[in-house]
Amino acid sequence: MIDNSKIFANIKSHRIKYKIILTIMAIILLILVCLNMTIGEKNYSLMEVIHTLLSSENNYIIMKLRLPRTLAGIFCGIAFAIAGNTFQTLLGNPLASPDIIGVSSGSTVAAVFCILFLNLNRGLVSFVAVLAGAVSALLIYKLASKDGYSTNRLILTGIGAQAFFSALINWMIKKASEYDVPTAMRWMSGNLNGITTDTLPLLIVIVLLALITMTYLSNSLQALELGENYATVLGVNVDVTRSLLILISVVLIAFATAISGPISSIAFLSGPIAGRLCSKNQINTIPAALTGAILVLAGDFIGQNLLPTRYPVGIITGILGAPYLVYLLIKQNKGGSI
Amino acid sequence: MNDNILKANDIVAGYGDNTIIDGINLKIPAHKISVILGSNGSGKSTMLKTFCRLLTPHSGSIALNDKSLQEMKNKDIAKSIGLLPQNSIAPEGITVAELVTRGRFPYRKFMCSLTTEDYAAVKEAMEAMKICDLADRSIDELSGGQRQRVFIALALAQQTDILFLDEPTTFLDIAYQIEILDLLKELNRKKKTTIVMVLHDINLSSKYADYIFAMKNGMLIKEGIPSDIITSQTIEEIYGLKSVVITDPVSCSPMIIPISSHDDLTNVS
Ligand SMILES: Nc1ncnc2c1ncn2[C@@H]1O[C@H](COP(=O)(O)OP(=O)(O)O)[C@@H](O)[C@H]1O
Ligand SMILES: [Mg+2]
Repeated sequence: MIDNSKIFANIKSHRIKYKIILTIMAIILLILVCLNMTIGEKNYSLMEVIHTLLSSENNYIIMKLRLPRTLAGIFCGIAFAIAGNTFQTLLGNPLASPDIIGVSSGSTVAAVFCILFLNLNRGLVSFVAVLAGAVSALLIYKLASKDGYSTNRLILTGIGAQAFFSALINWMIKKASEYDVPTAMRWMSGNLNGITTDTLPLLIVIVLLALITMTYLSNSLQALELGENYATVLGVNVDVTRSLLILISVVLIAFATAISGPISSIAFLSGPIAGRLCSKNQINTIPAALTGAILVLAGDFIGQNLLPTRYPVGIITGILGAPYLVYLLIKQNKGGSI
Repeated sequence: MNDNILKANDIVAGYGDNTIIDGINLKIPAHKISVILGSNGSGKSTMLKTFCRLLTPHSGSIALNDKSLQEMKNKDIAKSIGLLPQNSIAPEGITVAELVTRGRFPYRKFMCSLTTEDYAAVKEAMEAMKICDLADRSIDELSGGQRQRVFIALALAQQTDILFLDEPTTFLDIAYQIEILDLLKELNRKKKTTIVMVLHDINLSSKYADYIFAMKNGMLIKEGIPSDIITSQTIEEIYGLKSVVITDPVSCSPMIIPISSHDDLTNVS
């Protein structure tokens, strides 16, 4: 008879490790929130910030600049991160992130067009961006499965679509930037400048709803990670669950993109980082979400305060993503598949 | 122990417009080991996929205790029917214990962590497949035989009364083949699990099967106990191969000696 505790020792210790890591991440996030709220052009003490927040005093910098900026950073980070992590888990490949395979830029194309050319309001923009994201996802999937589906083919098709959409975005920005360079810049790599409070509640509600649904579906996602066949045999309603997960991801990307622009690499990096830190047995939705928020806030803090000139957050996070992409391509190339 | 009777009623199935299974009726003998024989491409895997709902039949139905699977809840089916697919892949870096634990999905409840029953089932599955000492190893670093046992344990953790296995011994050396088949036989004898598997080795089928289904071109051409199926006439019907059938001196089951076109047949009576 083999002792239970021996077989499951690692699973149980992973669970403890998981909780510890989540706590550490939450603390890091809290510290970053404090940093972003207190430090900037003008520095405040933590007490001043807390006092202002509690009394909702009319401090323009804290209430109208830093609070929306920080909230947008947190919730856009979470949105990109869980969307990316879900795609990567579903498709079983870290390259299958929506920002690599064209789904995010599909949303961005629509958002850029609606904002720069049609001057639509943010709610409407998000809605159109969701549609565009879903349509691009579907289109890329259809193109990839024309002669029999494979994830590798999906990734290659997606990278092609990504290039096409990027070109389209660049062209639109070039057209529009004659009038509005700063706004246009947002759509290159994501930016937290000029975020207003009124755009945030919807994003926050959507992210929270998505988090709840994802947690509810996390066991199913774990089964889906074993592939469609195993998931079916284990009793997952594969078509419904997968469509729902993809739809939620596209909604998250679209809403976040409409607010901050496509912040580079968050979707792509958060899941793998969370996966490294935690055990494989957990579905990494929550740690990935925290990682995303941390990356955005840290990137924004560095971009705003630590460099000789100010950089948009997406430029900083993009620098992190590039080497990982190269690493993955080299590693997977060795294995003979992407 | 309730008898879970699984039946295929007039199954027509295939891929797209391409019909592969062309009207199959069969009843899986409960608590027995059944083997499906047939040449490559005869539709054995397609039949297993239909039984396990990986493929929706064009017409006909699969019924568990006379209830169509389509009318049953996914999770209830998953508690009765398990599968080892022909090709299994695992997420990168996952450990053996973690993978086997995923077999508990149909029993898990929302937001609840693994229960005592879950742990007991996973442990029992790992003991049955003798992989307890591999618990913390990553799947990527196992040998073919070890991997196969891990994936069977994953199916066992699901605690189903019926287990399908698609070529569980392919790519394994003869010692591993016997090891896996022995473990399956033990499972069948101890837990009365109904086992249905596709095998390519006729002699091993004859040795381990209680019952054999013979398929050809998407149809069931014969079924019966090994001594009725393993005859030179039926083997020629299934595979188009001439053979001589002798008795296995150890297990006394029928055993075939294939005849090659280079063999000198003057000595054969
Ligand atoms: N996924 C698939 N898509 C299309 N055709 C398939 C697929 N899988 C199998 N087939 C075809 O179905 C036929 C039967 O295949 P299969 O059931 O795998 O045979 P077996 O398992 O008996 O070797 C073959 O002609 C094969 O080409
Ligand atoms: Mg087959």
